[in-house]
Amino acid sequence: MNAFLQMSMTEFRMALRNFIYMFFAFVFPPMMLLLFGGMYGNEPTAFYGGHGAVDVLTPAYIGMILAVSGIMGLPLQISEYRQHKILKRFKATPIHTGSIMLPHFIVNCLLSMIGTAILIVVGIGVFHLHFLGNVFPFLFAYFLSMACIFSIGFLIAAVAPNIRAASAIAYIIYFPMLFLSGATMPLQMLPKVMLTISKFIPLTYCVEILQGTWMGDPLSSFLKPILVTASIAVVCTGVSIKIFRWE
Amino acid sequence: MIDVTNLTVKYKNLVAVDGISFAVNKGEIFGIIGPNGAGKTSTMECLEGLKKSAGGEVSVMGIDPMDRRKLYESIGVQLQEASFPDAIKVKELCRLFSSFYKNPADYRVLLARFGLADRENSFVKKLSGGQRQKISVVVALIANPQIVFLDELTTGLDPQARLDMWELVKSLRDEGRTILMTTHFMEEAEYLCDRVCLMVNSRIAAIGTVPELVAQAELSQKISFTAKNMDKGALAAIPGITHITEKNDGFDLYGNGRNLLRDVVVFMTEHNMDFEDLSCSKPGLEDVFLKLTGYRLEAAV
Repeated sequence: MNAFLQMSMTEFRMALRNFIYMFFAFVFPPMMLLLFGGMYGNEPTAFYGGHGAVDVLTPAYIGMILAVSGIMGLPLQISEYRQHKILKRFKATPIHTGSIMLPHFIVNCLLSMIGTAILIVVGIGVFHLHFLGNVFPFLFAYFLSMACIFSIGFLIAAVAPNIRAASAIAYIIYFPMLFLSGATMPLQMLPKVMLTISKFIPLTYCVEILQGTWMGDPLSSFLKPILVTASIAVVCTGVSIKIFRWE
Repeated sequence: MIDVTNLTVKYKNLVAVDGISFAVNKGEIFGIIGPNGAGKTSTMECLEGLKKSAGGEVSVMGIDPMDRRKLYESIGVQLQEASFPDAIKVKELCRLFSSFYKNPADYRVLLARFGLADRENSFVKKLSGGQRQKISVVVALIANPQIVFLDELTTGLDPQARLDMWELVKSLRDEGRTILMTTHFMEEAEYLCDRVCLMVNSRIAAIGTVPELVAQAELSQKISFTAKNMDKGALAAIPGITHITEKNDGFDLYGNGRNLLRDVVVFMTEHNMDFEDLSCSKPGLEDVFLKLTGYRLEAAV
């Protein structure tokens, strides 16, 4: 079989065996939705701008799933491969270097899409989740957010000298990002200081465009967050490629 | 098969390999031995196309190792301290590597040959150290390589696993493959290698077959026995003996010559000299290394 395909399938199988990853990508977000949906229901309220809590939380949790795949999954896999000289071993074969790196991106992309699908199915099944936007703007926001988050993960993989450093950086970035970006708690709950901090967290902008396009706002009203996320994606990817070491 | 001329490897300002030259012949086991930091792995990685040389020329079967995709169709490598993903099974790893090559060897045949046929569904990380090293050789052989590179293959293995590995390496040579290996075990090099290259401080200190190196180093054989009331002076007349030491009725005779032991026995029998506990020790690679460097390799590792 084609090396690229075989590599992607093997990586996919291995990721499914990673319990922590699977928990945070597939179980934790629907669990949060059940918890907060159970508390607030999905009836329109003034607090959520006339929308149901579940309708607002779901796109934010989608951002959370992207962060799990991009910030925890991707860099930890790559740094394990580098530290254990697996990247080097793959390099000593006739395959293209793209066939070594790209499967990591594809597999994490696929896993975050599966996680998103599970979340949406739970939302619809339990809370009559509504999608109020248009498919294409939302998909645009989704893949732009993915590019932004994954490029940060790639940068972590490029910068971290070993697995311990990579997981430390990933956790340090992941958890504050979760609570301060609006991915778990609505931003309007935050005091002013924390709100200012949240402006420096990339996931905040991802959540903003995911939520906005989910609710049906046109892309044109999110020019600033689109610009920010796209710039992060381009800069982080460029820097990562520049400084990436195979061993 | 492999030609190296004036190879130099640098890490920033540190010279890891300093202008070495050697050639590896088809169908031989060629060993690079030396202490850690001597430049063994750097040399190896240049030939494997994993490291750029700072100078000199390298040709592997006529291919420049930097032409990696062409090179890797005909060589197989096992890297020092390299491992495989934690969550991968033996079968998955073998299938994955098979997908990398145009004409891969049948991994099932290889696993059976290495005694791992029943391990197809095991996770690689659950295998013993010896089995994991065998897997790394199986993976190297999936390429159907003419040349196999083995870097510190038996480091960290228990004695039995090491002996098993030696037989496997020999069998690879016997089926016509060329083996280039590094080791810091002298006995391993003596047992396995058709020719060895001793590397010390980034340079080649000696190169040749083990008997050649021993002869070049002009090392003496040692013949030991115990005898009562022996006249030390009379022993000096034995042909080939150059030096004698005596301690508490124990005698050590040093000398050279293909028939030294026979000459000693014949001489003492003819002269009615009574002796016990006769033994003869021939100098080995360890002694060559000691003579060339002034220290023992085993102590340096």
